Order: sequence, then structure tokens, then C-alpha cells
Amino acid sequence: MAGKAGRQSRPRKADKDEEEKPLQAVLVADSFNRRFFPITKDQPRALLPLANVSMIDYTLEFLTSTGVQETFVFCCWMASKIKEHLQKSKWCRPTSPNVVHVITSDLYRSLGDVLRDVDAKALVRSDFLLVYGDVVSNIDVSQALQEHKQRRSMDKNVSVMTMIFKESPPGHKTRCEDDDIIVAMDGKSKRILHYQRAQALKKLHFPMVRCLEVGSDEFEIRFDLLDCHISICSPQVAELFTDNFDYQTKNDFVRGLLVNEEILGNQIHMHVTRDGYGARVSNLLMYDTVSSDTIRRWIYPITPEANFADQEGQSCTHSRHNVYREPGVSLGHGSQMEENVLIGRNTVIGANCTISNTVIGANCVIGDNVTLDRAYIWNRVHIADNVKVKQSVICDNVEVKHGVVLSEQCVLAYNVVVGPDITLPEGTVLSMHHPDEEDDEDEDEFLSDDNDVGYSKDKTKQKVFNPAEVGSEGKGYRWKSSSLDDTEEDELAECIWGEICLMILMEPESEPEPEGSHDLGSHPASPELDDVKVFQNEVHGTLQRGLDENISCDNLVLEINSLKYAYNISLKEVMQILMRVVLEFPFQQQGAQISTAQYSSHLLPLLKKWAPVFKNYVKRPQDQLDCLASMEEVFLECETHWAALVKVLMSMYQLEILEEEGIMHWFNQGSTTDKSQQLRRNQGLLKFIKWLQEAEESSEGDE
Amino acid sequence: MPGADKETELSERIEAFLSELKRCGSGAGSLRGSAETARETTSLLRRITAQARWSNAGDLMEIIRKEGRRMTAGQPSETTVGNMVRRVLKIIREEYARSRGSTEEADQQESLHKLLTSGGSSEDNFRQHFTHLKANVIEAINELLTELEGTTDNISMQALEHIHSNEVIMTIGRSRTVEAFLKDAARKRKFHVIVAECAPFCQGHEMATSLSKEDIETTVIPDAAIFAVMSRVNKVIIGTQTVLANGGLRAVNGTHTLALAAKHHSTPLIVCAPMFKLSPQFPNEEDTFHKFVSPHEVLPFTEGEILSKVNAHCPVFDYVPPELITLFISNIGGNAPSYIYRLMSELYHPEDHEL
Repeated sequence: MAGKAGRQSRPRKADKDEEEKPLQAVLVADSFNRRFFPITKDQPRALLPLANVSMIDYTLEFLTSTGVQETFVFCCWMASKIKEHLQKSKWCRPTSPNVVHVITSDLYRSLGDVLRDVDAKALVRSDFLLVYGDVVSNIDVSQALQEHKQRRSMDKNVSVMTMIFKESPPGHKTRCEDDDIIVAMDGKSKRILHYQRAQALKKLHFPMVRCLEVGSDEFEIRFDLLDCHISICSPQVAELFTDNFDYQTKNDFVRGLLVNEEILGNQIHMHVTRDGYGARVSNLLMYDTVSSDTIRRWIYPITPEANFADQEGQSCTHSRHNVYREPGVSLGHGSQMEENVLIGRNTVIGANCTISNTVIGANCVIGDNVTLDRAYIWNRVHIADNVKVKQSVICDNVEVKHGVVLSEQCVLAYNVVVGPDITLPEGTVLSMHHPDEEDDEDEDEFLSDDNDVGYSKDKTKQKVFNPAEVGSEGKGYRWKSSSLDDTEEDELAECIWGEICLMILMEPESEPEPEGSHDLGSHPASPELDDVKVFQNEVHGTLQRGLDENISCDNLVLEINSLKYAYNISLKEVMQILMRVVLEFPFQQQGAQISTAQYSSHLLPLLKKWAPVFKNYVKRPQDQLDCLASMEEVFLECETHWAALVKVLMSMYQLEILEEEGIMHWFNQGSTTDKSQQLRRNQGLLKFIKWLQEAEESSEGDE
Repeated sequence: MPGADKETELSERIEAFLSELKRCGSGAGSLRGSAETARETTSLLRRITAQARWSNAGDLMEIIRKEGRRMTAGQPSETTVGNMVRRVLKIIREEYARSRGSTEEADQQESLHKLLTSGGSSEDNFRQHFTHLKANVIEAINELLTELEGTTDNISMQALEHIHSNEVIMTIGRSRTVEAFLKDAARKRKFHVIVAECAPFCQGHEMATSLSKEDIETTVIPDAAIFAVMSRVNKVIIGTQTVLANGGLRAVNGTHTLALAAKHHSTPLIVCAPMFKLSPQFPNEEDTFHKFVSPHEVLPFTEGEILSKVNAHCPVFDYVPPELITLFISNIGGNAPSYIYRLMSELYHPEDHEL
């Protein structure tokens, strides 16, 4: 983070006439991840149809209706397609109240790159809105904008960003698991103090110090918020991205800003909306939810029949039970559109079909006796007779032959042919792209959509379609979703259907696990470890190094102390962990199978060596008790080495780490479990205690 | 070229008006009154008349019809826009007829003979060019605007004829016309107003606040209590969103309940509706009749898990059949529902019913 302090104080042009400046927006029409692969291999995410309208149109409509007058659309992956779409749309007509500029570059790898470019080109002149091309919203941001401006005029540009959240309690369908966030905020000023993605973490730590430092008498910790991915940014945000070239995502930015708050003096505020709707289509599960919310009119006045994108021939009619029909729809005898159905123009539906909660695009042909539930069928799809589809996405030009059953969460990407008479299991993803093409390009470090530009047809080997996967007349390959065989950390973020789907997918493969363990998943490495665990590992490492490099005990103490602060561990825990680490040290070095004699012979010199460390931490009688309790705990876990306990106690007594009162107190303490009772009846221990008692008496007698 | 400039400016204005129409009223009805919408539509039409390129009445009518179709499509539930377009078309017809010297008003009476002889060729007749037609049409539209300005005053002027001392009046929701009507009466008489709150948007609360500021004795009741309270009520005075061609109403949700309760107790139901709310639409035209808004008010988005299990709908309008209505008070006086068809034929030309 070099040059951080660099250009903070860049003079900003004439703040006074800021109100008259038109409101600007930066729309990032690239997701910089591959969540929608393989669908986004053929079409950028911003152009995927949601209720038969491209997602970017929703975003632009939202921006226009909140009064944005100038929008910069940044595209990267398939930029030409987005550009073409925008040029045809109403946004590029001369009468559009919102002037849209399209800026394309293949070099954008992240949100950070885009904002750095915004800064480099000096595109924004005052506060701007930052959104992604897949945000669907009807929030009126004018109030938030006003608050933002007020804060900035009051506090000399301290607040650089206002994030917009929507209240939605846990368990809400529009909340997506991998977008869960926890926010700590100042109750009065709405300033964000801490921002963390919950993402399956079970234990979270809040830097209370930071919260308390603020000096506010109330602060809130909220888990009932949905990040709308809409933020009001000041031009400083772009500058900050330039200054900190390691910021890739908004998450990096927010966290970086909060951590360095004292240094940079920048703050982030939040605005919680109650009545508006705002969500980002970040995976197919969200796609499902947002589509159904659109059809159920949650985003009013952005509804399918409003034809806000103003496309020719897209006028819908809306009738009871949220059934929308575009012109030219024909419905066969006995077919029923139950509820929440949207049917695109010139689509032909056969007889005796049952359709509910479904979106069908334009020019589709659907046969007889078809059952569709929560299906998202795009344009020009052919579905033959007796097909059943549940909660699946079927992209353009797909052909589904007769008798095919699509179970939940199937995806048929562009031009796939399936069938006849095949049942696709849950979570099947079929695509015309062979998954191996993908592997060739996987070396790409960045997770952008844009990395197979150089893909050429001749390079791919001729592969055969597997009839077991796609049916005897089928065309397409089973998409080996990278989420299943990939042990990278961002595995969860990669899944096309989001996390919930992953749970479902993993269950049949892994042995039944107790509830909640799914998030351990296939990477038992670091992310699950809580701070205490990490601390323990660190202490072990420190001691190991101390032993190897012969570091003095004073320095060890110093290191442990700094670790203690780094992981926010209490003194008591430090002692217990230290004790545990030392006692387990021989196991770590020699393996768990060593005999008691070997164990004690290893341990005793170590104890002697590290006695000053212990002495540093064990001072009060209470400390001794904690220490002994921890010791007991360790020994309870390995019954075979009970004999060593006496030797440990003895040597610690001799090293004057433990005193006889402490030991006696511990021994006489009412023990809770049978096992610790047994431990106390151990022959060696009894002898030791007796010896202690006698020693005490004799010393008293001496006096 | 200044002409081109004017034209882009005009279309910009139309776009702006359209998008505003589309966005207006995320809650119930409209953020602004329909009187304002009517005025804006009319002045926009006047601007079109003044600035668009046309050489004869036929061209102008074609232009206005085209723009009118777009504007009505923008917000189908806002019938005022379409009504104003029809009024302007009627004005053009009349002015054209006057310029030609024939008196269309005189032979407005349709007869079988006339239908047989003149049918089909009427459009051709508008092709003649008159130099001062433009000025005349604009003048007539200005008159229409003046009429629109005065509607609310005209209606509230009649208040004293209908509201007597110590009466109990019931109303529902918030209608600007009714509000002005009651306030006008309150200057001379003392009476008691009961306001049904009109869930889920509860505009009744605003209405009550506004009335009580004028020292009118006001009570707010929940919608469920309408029937129970009705026996004490002398008159029900309501506003409406649209008056339909059959004399029925498209009014805010809950009005039907109120009308039925009034019928049961034989309480007179008076509808205050300016003439621009009169629409040639019939209630069976299903597609645009209803307006469903976000179900947020019915079941808040914050409810959580239940949302995925239920379908919530939030319709805005009720249909009130003409049998339940006693009297319409418009800016041109009081009329029975059965007389609406007559007003309709006076205001709009039958060929303009379909834009």
C-alpha cells in the first residue's frame, strides 16, 4: 500500500456548485467472476434475460428513475455485445434523460481496475452511484444521497461512501447465503464501524475497541441486512482505489478503509431502506428469487407489463394471479397457467400443460402434457411432449426432446439438445462447451469472465457426446462445475446456484455429516479455524522455533504477548493454551505413540527450559489453578500417560512454577467427572500429594 | 434548423412526461392529483399542436392520436390522460367544422340516415387547409385549461347545497376534491366527518389531519368498522379515480364495501368527480382495469421466510357498480349515474373512444 497518503488532499474543484452538477453513475457490466459459467461463456451476465428483459436494462432503469443523468458503463467480457445492446436500447436515443457512455477494455480484472480507470480518466466530477450490471432495484436513493451530501459538507469530506442496505431478516429468500454480512454501526450517525461477510463463519469477532473508541453511546450490530450493492461514492473513492493498488473488490475497499480509519481518516456510512427493493443477481439462486420477485410485483413500478425498456412488441398484459402474456401467445386446450407466469411473444404452448412460477421467452414451442414449475426458459426453446421441468434454467435455442425430466437446479446452456426419455439428476449443468476447454485456461489467476478470448475451435479435440448424460439424440457435455473438484478457498463463491445448492450437491457424495458441517466441505484447512485455534498453532510454532533457534525465554514471552493481542486472547486463555501446547509438545515431535517414559523424558527438559516463560504468566494463585486445570484437561485426554502427570507436577513444583497450596487446592477441589476422580486416585499422584503434605508439615515443624 | 430543434425538444418533453407517468404512484393512486395530470397532459397537447408539423386537421389528429396512444400506454390505469387526448381531438373536430362553416354541433344528433350517408368519408373531410385553424385550436385548448383550473372550485361551490348543519358525513381515503368540498362547507356549517382509513395505504389518516386543521370534527375509523358506523351517517361523500362509461366507478380499494354498506342503510352516496375523470371505458375491459402494486404494504418485505410460501397481491382499485351511487357532483352540476352516457357523448366524439 505504497503512497497511501499521496493524493488525499488533491484540491477538488468548486464544491459550491456541486448541487447543480448532474448525478453520475458508474455501472460495472462485468461480474469479474465465473459464477454463471457456462452460461456466460456465450453471453455476458448483464445481458442475461430476467423476466424477458436484460438485466442491465433493470439497472439502467433504476439509475434513471433515481435521477442519474450520466452513466458510464464499463464492460470487459463480451464488451461488444453489451455495446450493441445498449446502442439499440432506449438509453442511447437522443431523448433519453440518462446519457449512457460505454467504456470498454479487456484489461479490467476487477472492480478496482474499473475505478482506477475512472480516476485516471477523471470521469466523475462529484458524488456518483456505483452499481453492478446485475442489480435490480427500485430504491429511491435521493434521500440517501442527500444525507451523504450533508455529511460531506458537515465533516469536510470525511465520509467517502454511503452503502445502501435493505432490511431483510435471516431466512428471507432474497438473502443469499454467500452474501450474508454482519455490520456494526454507530446507531446515531449511521457510520459503519465494522463490516464482515458472514459466509458460513460460526464465530465472529468484533473489534470492540474500534467501536468504543468512536465515543458514541450506542452502536448496533446487525445481521438483518441485505447488501443491495448500490453505493454512493464520492470521487475520493476512485482516488483511494488508485492509491491502494491492491484493492480488488468493494469488500477489500470497505475493509481496508475501516481498518485504516485512523490513518486515512475516511469513514463509510450506511443507509437502510425499508420500502425499496434492491438485490444483486449474484448466482442462479438469486436469479430464481429475483425473477419471481419481479413477477410478484415486488419491484413495482418496474414490472413486466410496464415495458420500461421500451422495446418493440414487448407489451405485456397482466391478468389475475400474476399471469403476464405478450402478444401472439397461443395456449393449447386444457393448458393451465396457474400463477406467476410470464410468457413471451409468439410462444406456442400445447395441450394439457401445467405452468406455474415460470418465465418463458419469445418464440418458444412447448409440446403437450408439459409440466413447468419454477422454470426459466429463454428464447427460441423447443420443448417436446411429456417433459417435466422443476426449478431449472434453459437458455436460448435449447431443444428438449420428449419424455425428459429435469430435476431441480438443472442448467441447459445455449444450443444444448437433451433427450429423449432421460432424467437429469439434480444440479446437472449441460453445455456445448467441453469442460476441458476450461481447464486449459484455468491458470488465469484472476476470476474474470474474460479469459477465453483466445479460445479457438481447432485447438479443442473432437469429443463425443455421452448418451448417458444427454440422451441418445442429445448434444452437449456435462459441465464439470469447478466447485466440486476444486479445493480453492473461494469454492463457495464459484457455484452457479450459490451455496445452498452446493450443500445439496455434496450430500450424496460425501458421507452423511452432522448438520452444519457442510461448510467444512472439502477444505478442512484454514478458513474454519477460529482465533483460539490459530493462536494455539502460532504458539506452538513460536515454541518450536524457540527450541530450534535457541531463542531466549524473554523473547518468547514477547512473541506470545504480541500474538495474544493479534488474536485478542485473554490472559487466562493464553495460560491454558501455553500449558496445553507444552504438554502436547512431545507428541507433536515424536508422534502420538511414544511411551510414558519417553514422554516424560522429553517433557521435563522442556519444562525446565521454558520455566521463565511459565513464571511470566503464572503469578497469582488463581493462575496456578487455571494452569492445573488445563493440565488436567490434557491428561484426561490421554489416559496412558497418567504416570507422567506426577513427574510434571513434581518438576513444576521444583521449578517453583506451582506452589504446594495451589496443588493441594486443585487436588481437593470437587471434581466433576468420574474420569477426573479416577485421575486423582492415581497411585503416583496420591504419593506425591502425601509427600507434599509431609513436606509442608515438616517445614511447619521446623519453625 | 430551428424546426428540428423544436421537434427534438418536443419529443424530449414527451419522453419526460411519459417516464414520469410510468413512475408516478408507487403507492396508491398517484403522488400528484389527477387534476395535475390532466393539466399537464393538456398543456403538452397544446405544445404538440403549436410545435408539430401539420398542415391540416387530419394530420394533427393523427399526431395527437399517436402520442395519445403512447401516453395512455405509459400508465394505463391513469385514464385522465386518455380523456384529455379525447377532449382535444373533439376540439379539433369542432374547430375544423366551424372553419368550414358547417355546424357540427347542430347535427350532432346521430340518425340512421346520417350514419348511412356520411359514414367512412369523415376523415377525408379533415384534409382541407385553414390558416387560422391552429390559432383557433390553441385558443380552444386554452379554454379547456381554464376549465380544468376551475374544476375543484366549481365542485366545492356546490357544497352548501349538499351538506347541512349537524350532519354526519362519511368518506374514505383521501381525495383532493372531497377535501376541498368539505372544507368549503365547513366555512358556513358545523358537521362531523368520519374518515375510513383505507388500508393498506391509509391515506385516510392524511385526510383526517388535513380536515381537523380546518376545525372540522373528524373521526378516523378502520375499514372494518364502516358497516357498524354507517347507521349514524347521513351522507357518504367520496371521490373516485375514474367514472366509467356505465356510471360505475373505479375508486380506491374499500369503496365498494362502503357503497354496499351505504346501500344497506339507504344512506345517499355522493361522488365528487370532475368531468375530466369521465372515461369512455367500460368495466369489463379487464387488462387495464386493475392495478397491482408492490405487495410491500400488505406483507412487508422484512417478513422473512413466509414470503416464499405465499403469494401476496395488492390491488389498488375497486369497481363500484352504478346502482350503488346516488349522485355525481361534477364541475357542471349534479347528475344521476344514468345520465353519464349523455355527458359522455357531449364530451367525446364517438370515433375517439378507441384511440
